[in-house]
Amino acid sequence: MNDGNALLHLLQPLAPDFVPDWAVVLTVAIIGVSIVIAIVGLIALAGTWAERKVSAHIQCRYGPMYVGGWHGWAQALADGIKLISKEDMIPIGADRKLFMLAPSILLGAVFAALCAMPLAPAFYFGYIDLGVFMILAFSSLTTIGVVMAGWASNSKWSLYGAMREAAQVVAYEIPLGITLLAPLLVVGTFNLVEASNAQADYFGMGWLAFKNPFVLVSSVIFFIAVLAETKRAPFDLPEAESELVAGFLTEYSGIRWSLFFMEEYAAMFLMSAVTAFFFFGGFESPFSYLAMQSFGDGIVYQLVCFLTLVVKGSFGIFMMMWLRWTLPRLRIDQVMTMGYKYLTPLALICVLGAGIWEAIKHAVS
Amino acid sequence: MVKANPVRRYIKNIWDSVYSTAVGMRITGKYLMQKPITVQYPDERLPIPDRYRGIHYLEQEKCINCLACARACPIDCIEMDAIRHGKELEWVLFTVDYQKCMFCELCVYPCPKDCIHMGTDFAFTVFDRSELVLDLLSYKGMSREARIRKKEAEEKKAAKEAAKAAKAAAAAETAAAEAEPESADDEEQEG
Repeated sequence: MNDGNALLHLLQPLAPDFVPDWAVVLTVAIIGVSIVIAIVGLIALAGTWAERKVSAHIQCRYGPMYVGGWHGWAQALADGIKLISKEDMIPIGADRKLFMLAPSILLGAVFAALCAMPLAPAFYFGYIDLGVFMILAFSSLTTIGVVMAGWASNSKWSLYGAMREAAQVVAYEIPLGITLLAPLLVVGTFNLVEASNAQADYFGMGWLAFKNPFVLVSSVIFFIAVLAETKRAPFDLPEAESELVAGFLTEYSGIRWSLFFMEEYAAMFLMSAVTAFFFFGGFESPFSYLAMQSFGDGIVYQLVCFLTLVVKGSFGIFMMMWLRWTLPRLRIDQVMTMGYKYLTPLALICVLGAGIWEAIKHAVS
Repeated sequence: MVKANPVRRYIKNIWDSVYSTAVGMRITGKYLMQKPITVQYPDERLPIPDRYRGIHYLEQEKCINCLACARACPIDCIEMDAIRHGKELEWVLFTVDYQKCMFCELCVYPCPKDCIHMGTDFAFTVFDRSELVLDLLSYKGMSREARIRKKEAEEKKAAKEAAKAAKAAAAAETAAAEAEPESADDEEQEG
């Protein structure tokens, strides 16, 4: 039971005998991919709307108020329709194939990474023992897409943006990976579902960040590295609209441009969810503990767990927006300094400290 | 300046960045919780100051077509014309060309009857530049026939009022006070 695809396990007994196995697998794959695509679309819609509202309210404005009625909730939809109906422009000097491929690679990487993310303790598309590695690997793959977009655009601004992205991601992959080792030391598994289940003690508040002070510090470092990884301010140098026009997005318009944004918001949610899984309890919260106690392991518990994850991911996105509208953009040398000179050593100290703490705890108990 | 210990500087840098980020986020968080200070413009508007200089507002019934405002205008954007019928005026035009007008308020001061004012309306968007020449007249005034008709109506009304007053006077004999306010005629003919 604890392997493969939860959907497959759900649907396999329902399939009639004459249906071949490959058809069942194909159906399950299509359903799963549709769910992930729907999630990415929803996150992008809600994310752009929330970004506009949060930025507006931080600046004491209202933001979108008219489209759709209540606080302009349909603004993102209207924007999407506008972007789809725009002309698909490819610059004359651009490398057409790479130019068209780049957004797909970005989005495909995020899709793949999202597939590794369980949506509930018993609803996942893959019970992957190295789940967090898969997520980190695929979210790093987005860099290839950005560099490709920058190179194919045949514009110096795009290339500058792409180079910055490459430099930045190389610098911040290190603290990102290292800080993740601290909670992994404590929990002892790379599997997201198992990591979440390990945090269910103390009435659903046995979060790894509270079990070990070094994990709490490394969660902050991890979050900063995530900001750089997802190209969010104050590390949005690849885009840097005041310096590089729009960085690697300069030559993109219409639906291709919006694909980059879908990728950005999906990656934001994904990385917030990973932060939640390995530092702040994953599915576990007092609510899911209550649901577990009163309704057992059934559908209610799964639903509460899913909602907990959504709330935690949304809170992560909110923190990213809050930071974006608080801090000015760093200079590229400051970004490099922060990555190599500050975050990397601190991450190493955190891992060392977490290991020593765990060893002492083990020796005492 | 004493050269700081590099280790202390390193730790201070970390502390500074954490502290300044926390302060900044507290400030932006405060603004996030605050009610927005902007208003949804076409639906609600902020009050406009009394001395605001917007589109002119003409009290046409007071105007005597003396051309003082047109003469005062430094860029000659006011044009006015009226035909006199005794004390009454039959207006031909009173236009302000808002392509030229610079809202200097110089037309307001020379007015002997205090009938031209700077209004509060500022949103003046049109599809054609010719529409920027705005006619301030709210009515065209009296033609000869209309003037006669109005005079008759006024006489009738005055007679009615006189009868009414006489009746009231008769009814209230005890009341000694019998005040008949003289109606001031604003539209004196000037020589």
